Amino acid sequence: MKEKVLSEHFSIDNFFMLDVYLKHNGYQAVKKALTELNPEKILKEAKAANLRGRGGAGFPAGVKWGFVPQNGDKPKYLCVNADEGEPGTIKDRHIMTHNPHLLLEGIIISAFCVGINTAYIYIRGEYENIALRLETAIDEAFQKGFLGKDILGSGFDLNITVHRGAGAYICGEETALLESLEGKRGNPRLKPPFPASIGLFQCPTVINNVETLSNIPSIILKGAEWFCALGLPTDGGTRIFSVSGMVKNPGIYELPVGTSLKDLIFKYAGGIKEGKKLKAVIPGGMSSPILKADEIDITMDSDALMKADSMLGSGAVIVLDEDTSILEVLKIITKFYSHESCGQCTPCRIGNSWIKKIVTRISRGEGKDGDIDNIIRLALNMLEKTLCPLGDAAAMPILSIVKKFRDEIETSIK
Amino acid sequence: MSLEFSDKTKKVIDKIIASYPQKEAALLPVLHVIQKEFGQISAEEEILAASLLGISQIKVREVVTFYTMFNRKAVGKYHIQVCSNLTCSLMGADNILNCIEEKLGIKPGETTSDKKFTLSKVECLGACEQAPSLMINFDYYGHLDKEKINKILDNLE
Amino acid sequence: MMKIYIDDREVNVEKGITVFKAAENAGIEIPHLCYHPAFPPEGTCRMCLVEIEGLPKLELACSTQVKDGMKVHTKSEKVVEARKGVLEFLLAEHPLDCPICDQAGDCKLQDYYEEYGLFDNNFSESKDRREKKIRLGKYLIHDNERCVLCRRCVRFLQEVVGTGEMGVFERGADTEVNILDGIQVDNNYSGNLAQLCPVGAITDTDFRFQTRSWFLEKGEAICPLCSRGCNIFIEYHRGFSRFDIPKRVYRISARENAEINSYWICDIGRFGYHSLDENRAEKIIANNNKNIKSYETSLAFFTEKIKQLFYKKETSKITLLLNSFLTNEELFLLKKIFQDDLGIKNIFFIDPSAGEADNILLTSDRTPNKKGAEELGFEITQFELSNLEDETEVLIIFGSYLSEIFSLSDIRAYFDRVPDKFLFTPHMSELDSMVGIMFPTAMTPEKGGSLTNVDGKVQKFSPVLEVPGDGKAEWKILAGLGSKLNINLNYYEDLLSPEEIFRQMQKEIPFFEK
Repeated sequence: MKEKVLSEHFSIDNFFMLDVYLKHNGYQAVKKALTELNPEKILKEAKAANLRGRGGAGFPAGVKWGFVPQNGDKPKYLCVNADEGEPGTIKDRHIMTHNPHLLLEGIIISAFCVGINTAYIYIRGEYENIALRLETAIDEAFQKGFLGKDILGSGFDLNITVHRGAGAYICGEETALLESLEGKRGNPRLKPPFPASIGLFQCPTVINNVETLSNIPSIILKGAEWFCALGLPTDGGTRIFSVSGMVKNPGIYELPVGTSLKDLIFKYAGGIKEGKKLKAVIPGGMSSPILKADEIDITMDSDALMKADSMLGSGAVIVLDEDTSILEVLKIITKFYSHESCGQCTPCRIGNSWIKKIVTRISRGEGKDGDIDNIIRLALNMLEKTLCPLGDAAAMPILSIVKKFRDEIETSIK
Repeated sequence: MSLEFSDKTKKVIDKIIASYPQKEAALLPVLHVIQKEFGQISAEEEILAASLLGISQIKVREVVTFYTMFNRKAVGKYHIQVCSNLTCSLMGADNILNCIEEKLGIKPGETTSDKKFTLSKVECLGACEQAPSLMINFDYYGHLDKEKINKILDNLE
Repeated sequence: MMKIYIDDREVNVEKGITVFKAAENAGIEIPHLCYHPAFPPEGTCRMCLVEIEGLPKLELACSTQVKDGMKVHTKSEKVVEARKGVLEFLLAEHPLDCPICDQAGDCKLQDYYEEYGLFDNNFSESKDRREKKIRLGKYLIHDNERCVLCRRCVRFLQEVVGTGEMGVFERGADTEVNILDGIQVDNNYSGNLAQLCPVGAITDTDFRFQTRSWFLEKGEAICPLCSRGCNIFIEYHRGFSRFDIPKRVYRISARENAEINSYWICDIGRFGYHSLDENRAEKIIANNNKNIKSYETSLAFFTEKIKQLFYKKETSKITLLLNSFLTNEELFLLKKIFQDDLGIKNIFFIDPSAGEADNILLTSDRTPNKKGAEELGFEITQFELSNLEDETEVLIIFGSYLSEIFSLSDIRAYFDRVPDKFLFTPHMSELDSMVGIMFPTAMTPEKGGSLTNVDGKVQKFSPVLEVPGDGKAEWKILAGLGSKLNINLNYYEDLLSPEEIFRQMQKEIPFFEK
């Protein structure tokens, strides 16, 4: 039985309530961090754990924290990215629904480590019920002295505010998140400067994903070595994989980093339903390049998937069976990115809309010779030319689908 | 005729504004409260938000038109938002949509004449393991089929 | 200072500047749409992408700071491909409006397409349709199909004027810039939006459909409509060989001056040029003497009248009315001749009444050279009709502003008491029939000289247009007068050009020495 870091207690009734949580080692990690350790030690542990960001970019959390300047008189901020917009991703919803106090513990310890006294949880507007649950948990933590002033007599203050988004996938991108938190349109910012130096309200800011922070308490309690050993040497811990699509048992699966994709689909998620054959897999959320059925002999970790010209992303696995129309998939993907493009920069704004128009025309039966080559050319004109990663997030899956399933799409054109 | 909050809501708004070092940052949360209170964010509500936070109405309109969850026109008592993204679409979202359209007699973007239901298509709700899914106001429903969706709609007062 | 390489050329650059600025200083132009030196970099048009050795992706020239030893390529294959890509995106959704678009000939999309494109159209879809004739402001029309979303207009209104009448609405491909519910751009700097817009999305109604930009020449000039002295371009038609044009000047545009007006001018200056071509006085009007027909004979008559009073030692019977539009050189000559040589004390100014200043450029003083007049030693007393003492026999008037301030009947009443009246003016007016001789003169862009702005900055300029008809520049008339009066002949002998007059000013008045 694989050891679980995050979802161990998901099935316990009312685990989201503080009194139940406290019965299971609740807030012991906060106690240890604030009363026995210090920020330098915590930072060392975070780095040694090789905890990579779980939002999609996969940047090592400890390294990110280390970028924040410790001198200077501006306040520092922590933003928790609970926007969970990457299609296929459901894990953060489960963590916040079933184990919100674990997230709060992670926030408190991280804020203590970096010297942050104000944290915002940026949660997507659709997760309203979860936002209410988080606010209740925060109130409970306040009452018990785990938040507010002089937490557990450590001299450390922390306030957490839940901030709701309002329906914009782009606000999952860290600088767009900051803009949205500041009350503006979710337009990503130019980098440099990076949020670690100029972020929220022009102050040094750390932005971490929900799952990333939720791993911190167990790293504190059981040590970085233990955590890293659960996964791979350069990519430690477990991941909550979101599995959806034509599998028998869609849902969340917390498994070690480096679990085989084949196992994930066939051993854990029950294989393809109704006895169908596998056609393709999107391994890391809609933005990740697609894998054909003969390409799934691969481990679910950042480096392996990068080598295979795809990406681990948010760890959201979408399984497609033999009856799936690839043209339909392409249509839905282009519709999504053109709807979610913020519209700031030329290639993403017009590129997504243009490709969507071509694909829609093809699916109406009005495809022409040269359409596919045009799509490839336009996607390449978007790739690495846009202001933020959404352009790449659109171009990469489109390119992979059109290249790997060209024959199938061409049948719609003839 | 300018809009007025209830006293209870005023307290909520004050608490929200106090959570940010800059007033403007409270715009999204304030707009959510305004939409809950008045049912929509039309020009009047924009002006209210603008005056609360000391910003121009144009800045409020810029924000309102960017985010999909801000309704510029009032929606029905129950806002049915059907996910039209990848997994849900491949797993029968169109069927569900058709069922709802047939049952209620409205198309996406429309509201029933008794103002009870509004139907919309939305992007990924983050409930992919329950595909096809939808959200009614803020409540999620998944693993839907014709029977289930009929039952859900029938049970809404 | 540090050394970088742009297109294999070694360039010395200051620390902290952008690649774009470094290239510009080295004379290398990098295509751009959203970038404007007045604002911090936007980085959204993606036209200015360049290749920097050692970096995996193309980087924006407008926002990337130079580093010692950096090697930049602005025209490599990768860069040209990227530029073509951005251009193609923009043109795909751009309407084929060139034949009816005022921006044609002056349009960045056209220029860049010619330089980097000339590719076939690969867009087989329907273009997005948008509103094409939005009444944006008093002088402005906005076409949302032509807009490339550089957002210079929104930034200008928010950051420079502070009025923020425009915003960015909707999202993705539906994004548009617009006013709020028809509330128009209503400030004194609205005209800058049309000049700022790199394409024909925002156009000004004054210029709309009047002519084509390639028929126009641009002359450097100073705006004379207030005392700020903003630098402008006067855009005038080159003329056709086979038929007449209805006017010379079609447009005024802002000219950059970091110390005075930055990149902007106000609407009063921008749209106030029509008087250059309207109602101009072009011929001598001699009301009492049919023998006086030419400029020469008229000036001779005028000179004689003054000489007579000088020899009779009765120059107190001369009253001189000046205005603060006259150049430094002209005012200098007027002072030398009338105050110094002739000893006249009745010198007054008639200027248009003051207006409201805004806190940006426009001053309340609506004349360009009051400060110049002060520094030249004039005491500026505004004229009242009662100042015309019973003794006045000769009245010399520069400019027609009298009829703007006093009623014709009042003027006539006082004029009837003065036997000889001479009017020097560029415009026709009711005064023409009330004086002895009306001499047509030049307006500011038709003469060389200098003006002193409200902050004491002296700005020299050369003529851009010719004086219409028989008109003459006042400084020419005055230099000739000085000589012909023979009081101080040697002094005026060498003052044959505005430059020479200025040099003389520098010798005599410390203020102009710098």
